[in-house]
Amino acid sequence: MYRTTDSDRYDGEDDIFVIDSHIHFWDASEENIVHEGGEEFIRCFYDYHTGFTPTEREWTLEEYRKYSRERMLTDFFENGSVDMGIFQPTHLHEFYEEGFNTVDDNAAVAAEHPERFITNGRFDPREGEAGLRELERQKEEYDIDGVKLYTAEWRSDSKGWRLDSEEAFRYLDKCAELGIKNIHPHKGPTIRPLNRDAFDVADVDDAASSFPELNFIVEHVGLPRLDDFCWIAAQEPNVYGGLAVAAPMAQNRPRKFGEIMGELLYWLGEDRILFGSDYALWNPDWLVDCVMNAEFTEEQRDEYGVELSTDVMRKIMGENAARLYDIDIEEKKAQFRDDAITEEFGLEAHYTDETPSAAD
Amino acid sequence: MTAESTDEPAGTLPTHDRIQSALKPVTDPELDRSIVELGYVDEIRVEAGGNGAHVRVAFTLPTAWCSPAFAWMMAVDARDAVEALPSVDDCTIELREHMHETEVNHGVNEGLSFAEAFPDAEDGVTDVRSTLDEKAVLSRQYAAVESLLDAGLDLEQVAHLERSDLNRDAAADRIAIDVPGGAFAVVTSTADIDRYLEKARSLDYFAESDRLFRTPEGEPIAPADAELVHRRARLAQVNMDGQGGVCDALHQARQSGASD
Repeated sequence: MYRTTDSDRYDGEDDIFVIDSHIHFWDASEENIVHEGGEEFIRCFYDYHTGFTPTEREWTLEEYRKYSRERMLTDFFENGSVDMGIFQPTHLHEFYEEGFNTVDDNAAVAAEHPERFITNGRFDPREGEAGLRELERQKEEYDIDGVKLYTAEWRSDSKGWRLDSEEAFRYLDKCAELGIKNIHPHKGPTIRPLNRDAFDVADVDDAASSFPELNFIVEHVGLPRLDDFCWIAAQEPNVYGGLAVAAPMAQNRPRKFGEIMGELLYWLGEDRILFGSDYALWNPDWLVDCVMNAEFTEEQRDEYGVELSTDVMRKIMGENAARLYDIDIEEKKAQFRDDAITEEFGLEAHYTDETPSAAD
Repeated sequence: MTAESTDEPAGTLPTHDRIQSALKPVTDPELDRSIVELGYVDEIRVEAGGNGAHVRVAFTLPTAWCSPAFAWMMAVDARDAVEALPSVDDCTIELREHMHETEVNHGVNEGLSFAEAFPDAEDGVTDVRSTLDEKAVLSRQYAAVESLLDAGLDLEQVAHLERSDLNRDAAADRIAIDVPGGAFAVVTSTADIDRYLEKARSLDYFAESDRLFRTPEGEPIAPADAELVHRRARLAQVNMDGQGGVCDALHQARQSGASD
């Protein structure tokens, strides 16, 4: 729980339940890399890491390539900044022998603490019938409620795919049929393939209007296509924004973070924004605090006519994800009073009924 | 080819500063900011040649993964900007530390098209460039409109403005405006309007209509939509500025990493 006593700003308010909606358990060790793209990929991630991490919290590149489950649990729960996490897989088998951050590897971590983690699946419409069977397996084995999609993933000669293609629609049909209702397309920085912009957000528009029963959580709020993303989201009520990549701007680009939040609140509103750390891109143990303490400037307040109020933050940090993933926060809080994570990290005080007194 | 610029008589070779100022209008198309101001240019070398100077421009982008299409645009624009100088014979581009530096450098220096340089690319860069140009001009429109609002106009009046309503007083560096409806206003800070006009002109915005501003779809602005259009322009500006923050942080991370 984010302890409201940690900041004057939330004094007297209840603590805030935090669901980190975008986390990974990856392996970019040199032994796992089979294509130079794999090396460039992790180095690019590492540039993002160092670019937005306080110096004293930076990892080394070696630590960053591959980390242990223990480290991950510590980064999440040691200071109690996060209550639950949602795994978003990224396979990248063309780059990594055993995959980069796979459904099965994620699920193995989640299996040890099923009350704390949610495993999402993934699909790639270029995998045809076999891919549909694989999606069924993920549902059956892990009861997934969501999928992470990486539209710029390489596959033999293909350098990406579109969410509004006929093949993708077959998979979205399958998701609807299986009750996999949360679709998380990664729409981040333009990298590959070459000129075609496989992270263009335009394909979300058609998919979202064709599948009103599904939710489309656009990861990285489309940056650097925030404008296209917001315009689509303003018209499609089932389109959401995941804050991964935008969130750490609160740390060293606070004015820009404020502007992005202002736009998101203006075009999407407070019910359709989800916090995510993108772990291990960034650590929630400092990022949550950083985002919780972000404030609009006076000018931004006037311009956007919105506030990062406690209620708004409560939604962004947890309630919106809880709604999409049918998480009953009160039930979870009761369960977490004495689960293994709470015992290991001594988090009992986070889940007691009483609001902590200001003296805590 | 190996003669140093200092060995040549003054006046025949462009100075380092001259090359730098020629490069200034070259923008990172995603951010609409000068590659010089962004600190991408690492090195400029000027050497004497029979028909004019040989110039070499080396640049590095914020990450090795920056879109090859964007890298290509910047490389081509830099080459063309330098080669446009009368004292320059040719300009060689060296993109450094990029996934596709070989293709970009070979293609640009050999005068190939993007499709020739990248045989597995699916289309040319023309569409990407025009999409980004439209975002850039919309973002500049936001700043220009803001300066008009500061001068006392309202959004409906701004929507009706034509280019001919702007009367520049070059001496005083201000623009007097004949506001539709008969009023009169003065903009004393003209930089944002100039920046908008420069980009709009380069995109041939005024070929068919003298209307100063447009919707993101390129239509004249209906008074009822004036506010929405302005908010969308603000969004374009926040997007470019926000991405600028991302690239800037990556650039800094890369620079500090390189010096470790």
